[in-house]
Amino acid sequence: MYNRMCKKGKYKSTDKMSDLICDNYNLLQVLSRFELPLGFGDQTVKEVCDTCQVDCTTFLAVINFVSEENNRMVDNLEGISVRSLMNYLKQAHHYFLEFQLPEIRMKLAQAIDYKNKNEVSYLIMKFFDAYVEEVKKHMDYENKHVFKYVEKLIEGHKDENFHITRYARHHDQIELKIKELKNIIIKYYPANVSNNLLNAVLFDIFSCEEDLVAHCEIEDYLFVPAVRRLEKEVQ
Amino acid sequence: MKRLETISIAVAETSVIVRNGLISVLRKLPELNIEPLEITSLEGLNDCMQGHVPDILIINPLFGGFFNVEQFRETYPKEEIKIISLLCSVTDSNLLKGFDDCIELYNSADEIEKKISNLLRLNKDNSEQEALTQREKEVICCIVKGMTNKEMADHFFLSIHTIITHRRNISRKLQIHSAAGLTIYAIVNKLVDISEVKI
Repeated sequence: MYNRMCKKGKYKSTDKMSDLICDNYNLLQVLSRFELPLGFGDQTVKEVCDTCQVDCTTFLAVINFVSEENNRMVDNLEGISVRSLMNYLKQAHHYFLEFQLPEIRMKLAQAIDYKNKNEVSYLIMKFFDAYVEEVKKHMDYENKHVFKYVEKLIEGHKDENFHITRYARHHDQIELKIKELKNIIIKYYPANVSNNLLNAVLFDIFSCEEDLVAHCEIEDYLFVPAVRRLEKEVQ
Repeated sequence: MKRLETISIAVAETSVIVRNGLISVLRKLPELNIEPLEITSLEGLNDCMQGHVPDILIINPLFGGFFNVEQFRETYPKEEIKIISLLCSVTDSNLLKGFDDCIELYNSADEIEKKISNLLRLNKDNSEQEALTQREKEVICCIVKGMTNKEMADHFFLSIHTIITHRRNISRKLQIHSAAGLTIYAIVNKLVDISEVKI
């Protein structure tokens, strides 16, 4: 056990689910997006997945992608369920839009004293809201167009007007603007005596940014190649 | 002329030791901010080229048996990708035609960094944070008030081209790229009053 504390690398279906989380708590996010509950005792990855009817190969592909140090264009796609992967991505969208970003907004409003309507805090909130709107547009497009297309593809119908490559090319980075907000707060926001609230929300923004980057990377390096294989099969 | 931006580099090499070794060197290059991507098969390389095309591809000339650079460039004629060969053994110089540069197994980190900088024409001299000039501050005020480039050009008796250069320098110095972000900057730093701002 002791030398597995900082294990980085490939996880197998026979590993204990609880070890996975203790190795890397970022994987908690992945679990909840696959709708796997906690409290799995000593069960292995395979057992937990089977109980919850989650595709184990896909789950492992995501887990291993997330925990690898470098990004890698995934080419070992055998056995990966595109539907399961897509459900994962949908859940992630839901998480960002319905939970993470509103939560950050609330904390940010508190940290910059939005209630008292000072002008800078008004502008910062406006900036944040514009950012959320952008993320929402980005994800709505994926929900409405990309996922719809893929769903049909899974059923064996190929829409000739769409191609996953088109999406891959125009899949833009949604974390740029939040980087800017972070910069403004860190470099230019007038300091108060106590920055605890502001620091806490900055922590959240940093981790949200990382999470969004990782999310887009899964789309680019795992989801898109998997869909491309599917396109070839359907043709 | 790019600076401080992330450089995306795909590394196509089948040996895990060489691939990860090179990537860990790339990550530690002091002057460059590199986002590496591992490529382990021709299929992966195709996927990579059909998504966000990296700035540089570093590839073993024997990748996939034999990597034909010229044919590769013909397949993706629109892409301005730089291709560097990764030499791990003595290689016939005929195989190296068509590459933009080459990295050898015993190159130092400095040499690798120089090659990448030269290839992307990065100028790293003015990397220090510079203060805004008076004119740049004035331009910020105008942007924040909602003026267009044309209006600013008329206002300052400058060409639109000069205004655009000012804007570019402002983004670079402040690391703020949007008008909304500049507005916050301008108010916090008292360049303008909120009553003048177009919200």
